[in-house]
Amino acid sequence: MSDYTIIGKRMPRVDSRAKVMGKAKFTADLKLPGMLVGKIKRSPYAHAKILNINTSKAMALPGVKAVVTGKDTEGIKWGVFAYTRDQEFIQTQKVRYIGDEVAGVAAVDEETAIKALDLIEVTYEELPAVFDPMAAMASQTELIHEDFPDNINIHVNIDTGHVDENFKKAHYIREDTFVASEESYFQAEPYAIAARFDHEDCLEVWMPNGGPHMKAKPLSNAFKIPLHKVKVRKIAIGGAFGGRSEICPVDYICALLAKKTKQPVKIEFTREENTIATRQGHSMITTHKTGVDKDGRVLARETTCYMDGGAYSSTGPIATSVPFLSMEQAYRMGSVRYNGYRIYTNKPIRGMIRTHGRGFACGLDTQLDMIAENLGIDPVEIRLKNSRQSGEYTSTKSYVDSCAMDETILKAVEKSGFKEKWGKLPPFHGIGIGTNSVQTGFPMGIRGGSQSFIKFNEDGEATVMSGVVDNGQGNDNMLVQIAAEELGLLPEDIHLVSADTETTSSDPGSYSQVSTFVGGQAVKNAAANCREKLFKVASKILKVAPETLAAANRMIFVKNDPEKSIPIRKVVRISLLNFTSVNAEGGYWPRVDMKREWVSNPYGQMCEAFSFGTTIVEVKVDPDTGQVEVMEVTAAQDVGYALNPLVLEGQFEGSIAMGGQGGMLTEYHEWKDGRCINTTMLDYKLPLACDMPPKINNIIVESIDPKGPYGAKEAGMSIAMSAAQGYSSAVSNAIGVYMDSFPLTPDKILAAIKEKKQ
Amino acid sequence: MRLPKFNYLGPKTLDEALDLLDTYKDDAKILAGGTDLLVRMKKGLLKPKVLISLKALNELSYIKKQSGFIKIGARTPLADIIDSDLIQKEAKALFQACKKIGAISIQHFRGTIGGNILQDNRCHHYNQSDFHRSGRQACHKDGGKICYAREEADRCNSTCQSDGATALMALGADITLVSKSNERTIDLADFYTTDGIMPHACESNELLKEIIIPVFGAHSSYQRLAYRSAIDYPIVCAGVLLKPSLKNEIAEARIVVGAMGRSPLFLAQISSSLKGKKLNDTIAFKKAADASMDSSATFAVHNVGATLEYRCSMVSQMVFQALEQTAETIKA
Repeated sequence: MSDYTIIGKRMPRVDSRAKVMGKAKFTADLKLPGMLVGKIKRSPYAHAKILNINTSKAMALPGVKAVVTGKDTEGIKWGVFAYTRDQEFIQTQKVRYIGDEVAGVAAVDEETAIKALDLIEVTYEELPAVFDPMAAMASQTELIHEDFPDNINIHVNIDTGHVDENFKKAHYIREDTFVASEESYFQAEPYAIAARFDHEDCLEVWMPNGGPHMKAKPLSNAFKIPLHKVKVRKIAIGGAFGGRSEICPVDYICALLAKKTKQPVKIEFTREENTIATRQGHSMITTHKTGVDKDGRVLARETTCYMDGGAYSSTGPIATSVPFLSMEQAYRMGSVRYNGYRIYTNKPIRGMIRTHGRGFACGLDTQLDMIAENLGIDPVEIRLKNSRQSGEYTSTKSYVDSCAMDETILKAVEKSGFKEKWGKLPPFHGIGIGTNSVQTGFPMGIRGGSQSFIKFNEDGEATVMSGVVDNGQGNDNMLVQIAAEELGLLPEDIHLVSADTETTSSDPGSYSQVSTFVGGQAVKNAAANCREKLFKVASKILKVAPETLAAANRMIFVKNDPEKSIPIRKVVRISLLNFTSVNAEGGYWPRVDMKREWVSNPYGQMCEAFSFGTTIVEVKVDPDTGQVEVMEVTAAQDVGYALNPLVLEGQFEGSIAMGGQGGMLTEYHEWKDGRCINTTMLDYKLPLACDMPPKINNIIVESIDPKGPYGAKEAGMSIAMSAAQGYSSAVSNAIGVYMDSFPLTPDKILAAIKEKKQ
Repeated sequence: MRLPKFNYLGPKTLDEALDLLDTYKDDAKILAGGTDLLVRMKKGLLKPKVLISLKALNELSYIKKQSGFIKIGARTPLADIIDSDLIQKEAKALFQACKKIGAISIQHFRGTIGGNILQDNRCHHYNQSDFHRSGRQACHKDGGKICYAREEADRCNSTCQSDGATALMALGADITLVSKSNERTIDLADFYTTDGIMPHACESNELLKEIIIPVFGAHSSYQRLAYRSAIDYPIVCAGVLLKPSLKNEIAEARIVVGAMGRSPLFLAQISSSLKGKKLNDTIAFKKAADASMDSSATFAVHNVGATLEYRCSMVSQMVFQALEQTAETIKA
């Protein structure tokens, strides 16, 4: 057991009560005096030239306050990286997917705004459109972006060398191709943004975001105003999953409308807009060629992946890399060559998603099962032969410090009874295993670190300022727990000011799985500095050396004589009376290789820690209908250290819902000529609470990362990936056919069963 | 999404409601639970000037047994039907169907049996927002001349996905429609027009008042497939009724397949082929189930999710399961 008083305890989250009671305010709830309703005019065509836009009728409609088009944007283009700036905030030349922004309207109410949209006359000349990445590469018709030949947006090439010679040494080689369709996030909260320019020409904005500072900088660039004049405010956020990471055109359009009208403007997305006009997960076609030695150790692997990127770059370089990185972290490989291609198509824009690359990872694990079968060893053995070990370097030269991959495999195997069940279950009853590894952070240059400020109030309570944002995963609680622990206070004594760019310092945001590791650590350091100041004062009062002191339960006391103590509140007051500051700051910057770049130099230290995990799934398949009944899921995850097991278990189960139950069984999009058919919660088949497996075993494995705060590292996203693999492996095991197309809908399962019979 | 503007009328009695309906006719829509109507209005598929609410009309909410018939008021909440011992015993297919409609919260809070029967046909190319339907030609149901579900189709192929209707048709139910000047009782099967655009033979001044289920010693079952266990329309379903003879043979059979065509499909010929068969004649059941698949497959188009091939092949499964379950109930 740890010596911590608050850290490591099952503490209900500070924000849950307000959320379950409906009291938490989200962007859509926000009402500002004089606020107008904004709406976006979108392209109904998948690929078309814009010949003319006539806004005069819309402008003339009573109640319409402003109409903006591409003419108002000064041609500014957005892209996460300097080399991916391919998206105008409002299109001026052509539209590239059904949903592309062509104009924005601000009006006194929603009805008027919608009417105004209908009155905007856009003349298009339709162009041939491509919806399939392979067809897009071969297409002879007009390129989606003229600077990108063959519609190839990003090409990531990683080569460790020795691949071809190692294949020659291999005892067994196989090559398999796996496909997976695109998926959506379906955040509980549809996207919304409110913007206003205040009396000092500062832009104030509220919106769900994966990092307020990541939103502020591009807005400051776009409006050519200093960074301090962009104030991204904190507001409750209903989910991100990678889909709220970057700025999107509507952020700019909403602010532009606010600027033009000199009134606050709010734009709320419909569920359909949230599906088609934010981001989606990439669909992909992945070929893994793997060569192993007699024992099943991977000597060489060559992976080629084609991803449907949709109409614009978005986080393309990252998304094209992360599936590979997760693989190279989870498994050792003698040598590897990777070619990842992100292809433009006339479909909605694809970005980062929690279940990065289900076609990639599920394919890899499926192929391991195939190889194991060929060699006559079981799925657990082949994983243990290739699993990542602490103290190694990944293929792209990242040092792996803490790593309990094997422990997660063994614990999940034991808890699930895998050894007793695998190969011994009745027909159409199966068990499968998948593993994951996720990076705790990316190199992010100037925004890679986080800084925190803490001020003590005279009543002995503390205000903590941090740039960390809470998307729903529990980051606010994490910060409060850490601050309370370090300051010797109770969670209710901590007032958190976070995710506001005016009052907090820069922070990498939550989308690189780094909130606890970097942001939490910054708060920990700030609090430790603050505590040190209090101890100095207390040591004089208690007449002991500062090093002998500890703080807990609002008291500072002598470690081996706890009776000798003084309330923190008193120390704060005495400090202030003695002209001594009780405030402090602290920061944390992960030591990563700043020269590492996604495309130009994909080698070097990626981040300081990696998480590892294993998910085992047991299913029954109905051979008559192809329907899958999931009986039990066991997830073991090396989280470094569990700051709050209660919150972690929520993340585990959410991951299983998103990556496994939904991501692998029911969730996919249907299309008709570039139109997304199932954009709503009724038509896109997210699992419901009643669809979830009856039994979930959460196993927290702690490897105590030497650099993480209290030893903690990434823990929120990872299981979604291994859950996908566990589900696919279990279904394959149940029906005796290795499935290569995901998700595993009943029709595919039934077809596979039928084919096997013949 | 936003509801278009409308006038809300709340009549206190059935007569008042019928008066209003007679006045507004096509400009009015009946609002019972609203779970189908309001969603369509939000998508801009329907812009009634007036909504006539049945909220105050408790006289349309009842379940009773009367001289060999179960009578259900059209506005009866789904939850009441599910809780009814009478329905569970004498009209099991309806009980099973109602349990699958929406979710528990919808069954308790809003959904009515009348609303479920009267829900409009669906198609994933049609049940879309104004935006989705822009930038392409209008489909048949949307006032145009194109079908996105079946190329070159000269008519609308929208699908009836009502759980309740499929079960009730298997039970051989009648329905009573009333207007200011008239009241008529018809076989539920005759209520369907086979026109995907206007699937119900209901005059604009008529209101669904009552559902009448004959009780004659038969047993029934309803089976359906969907992606999820709740808040999901069936992608294929089947309702089956079997009446045993004294010799434990099948004296009467009714097989109805739902979610495959413009209306629930009562397969009369296949049903009567089961007459005289033993209750444990699984070969006959399998044959009837396969025949049901073949006949309903011709009606189905790819417009409610899953693949068409999968849905067609599942007809046989659903019919077979429903037959087996019904026979089991009789044997027990």
